[in-house]
Amino acid sequence: MRYKLYIFLFLLLCIAFFLPSQALPQDDTASSPVLAPKKLTLVEAAMCEGIKEYTPQNQAIAFSVTIGKVSCFTSFDPVPEKMFIYQNWFHRDELSTKIKLFLQPPRWRTFSSIQLREADKGPWRVEITDQQGNILHILRFSITD
Amino acid sequence: MNEILSFFSTVRWQDYVDITLNSYILLRLYVLFRGTHVFRVLIGIALLWFSQRIAVSLGLILTSWAMQGITALAAFIIIVVFRNEIRSVLQAKTLKAILWGFPQKPVTTPISIIAQSAFELAQRHCGALIILPGMEDITDVVHSGIPWNGLVSKEMIASIFWHDNPVHDGAVIIQGDQVVEVGVILPLSHSKDLPSDYGTRHRAAAGLAEATDALVVLVSEERGKVLVAKGPDMHVINQKAALEQVLQEHLGVTSEELAYPRKGKVRFGIAALVSVLFITGVWFSFTRGLYTLITLEIPIEYMNSDPGIEIIDTSLTAVRLDLSGSGALIRSIQPEQVKVRLDLSKGVIGHNTFNIKPENVSLPPGIFLKAVKPPVVEVTLDVPIRKELPVQVDWVGKLPKHVIVSEAILYPKTVEVIGGNRILEKISTMYTEKVPVDNLTSTGTITVGLALNPASLKIAPDSKDRITVKYVVRKKVQ
Repeated sequence: MRYKLYIFLFLLLCIAFFLPSQALPQDDTASSPVLAPKKLTLVEAAMCEGIKEYTPQNQAIAFSVTIGKVSCFTSFDPVPEKMFIYQNWFHRDELSTKIKLFLQPPRWRTFSSIQLREADKGPWRVEITDQQGNILHILRFSITD
Repeated sequence: MNEILSFFSTVRWQDYVDITLNSYILLRLYVLFRGTHVFRVLIGIALLWFSQRIAVSLGLILTSWAMQGITALAAFIIIVVFRNEIRSVLQAKTLKAILWGFPQKPVTTPISIIAQSAFELAQRHCGALIILPGMEDITDVVHSGIPWNGLVSKEMIASIFWHDNPVHDGAVIIQGDQVVEVGVILPLSHSKDLPSDYGTRHRAAAGLAEATDALVVLVSEERGKVLVAKGPDMHVINQKAALEQVLQEHLGVTSEELAYPRKGKVRFGIAALVSVLFITGVWFSFTRGLYTLITLEIPIEYMNSDPGIEIIDTSLTAVRLDLSGSGALIRSIQPEQVKVRLDLSKGVIGHNTFNIKPENVSLPPGIFLKAVKPPVVEVTLDVPIRKELPVQVDWVGKLPKHVIVSEAILYPKTVEVIGGNRILEKISTMYTEKVPVDNLTSTGTITVGLALNPASLKIAPDSKDRITVKYVVRKKVQ
């Protein structure tokens, strides 16, 4: 039994010794002025027919107007802080709609959709921008018959 | 009275010049070719043309067609058949004489002296050949003439044909009141119709008369007869008065003219008046007859644009012009004769509106501008720049239900285009030509061109104008 007690005490000592060494670098990192803060990163962007369980369905570059709706799915990781992005929908070179989407740290998935009409046929693009308007990515697709 | 004044106000100074110039040309043709066969044939052609116009107006299809053909043919025939006569008219006269001089007939030709000399020589049985040239030049036909240039007199003619004179066997050429050449050798006639008793002198006279329009007075040495040869005819003249008459006719001098030389001037005056009236009539028929309207579509020519500025876009490339004028002028008008020119020197970068005014339209004389449709043209000027643009496929059509086009990789992904600064700043994507998706059932590759919209855009020479598209087709998740 005493043997088990010594092992237990040894493990406690080891834990007591190593835990501060792991926490410090994290604290250093957090408090260090020379390291940049985490940057908003777009890890996935796709045009799709719909979103199911936060996953884009039938990603494509050509959609029939008969499906009635098309979505722009985006996934960000990391999201450093509460912020928003824009999804700017262009039909040919004309801005059709500008959708503001909010993001929450640490990571966030979001999407916007438009309803399709006959007049919407043709080439489209969605510009995904940060809140300053910097383009993060451009998705191109067509609405067909 | 007001109508007459208003009519004259519509006649331009160019029209007066037009009528005067052509009247003068017609008068000169009359002066130069008067009394020749060419003139008669010209009158014949004019009558044919006039008849053809009448036949057209009466609706005589075959007659008008035939007359038109004959008239056209006659114009060629006259040049071929009467080439010598035309040449002699043009060669024999200086440029000043052709353009300005009024060639008066040598009324001073001593017809009576020639006639009297001929009969005196006949009485003495002295053979003689006296040539009186017509309108044709005979220098190519005769040979070995010795220049003389002496005034015509009975004594001179008698001495030339005196037996002991070295040149008495040749012919003399009389022009005006001068013996210009003696000892002239004439071509002999090869005609078999001449009487067998005709000698060499007769054959020489006939030969020249057949070849030219000259008149030859022949004195037969053996018979002591006076003969006259002109054209294919040769006949004996028994009386001096008859010979004078023949000579007067040949020289185009009537006894009236001899008696009254002013008559000749009156004739020229009448000819001038007729020329003016005729040309005025033709001018009226061309410019005022059968007022007709026509619409022509004429491309616009843009001029004087700044070399550093390009025409990016125009609302029109051509305008329709409503033109009016006489039927004859309107029918003969060619679109190339009509120009629409716009001066872009005052154009600015951006959108410009130009009104097409009459001074922008260049028309042939006698044609009038009624309207320009549309009267305004929009021109966009810009400084050309280069811009690199991403390419996007313009998918069209209906995709099969069970598949989706999930991805497309383009090569090249971007192209460089050249176009107006103002246009390119609004363009951020170059689209391909429409690519149908109807038959896409599996992954593949296609090559498509670019849709240049607006058309003023150009692909930069060092950029590809065909895009290779590798597309991925997947089954659709239901």
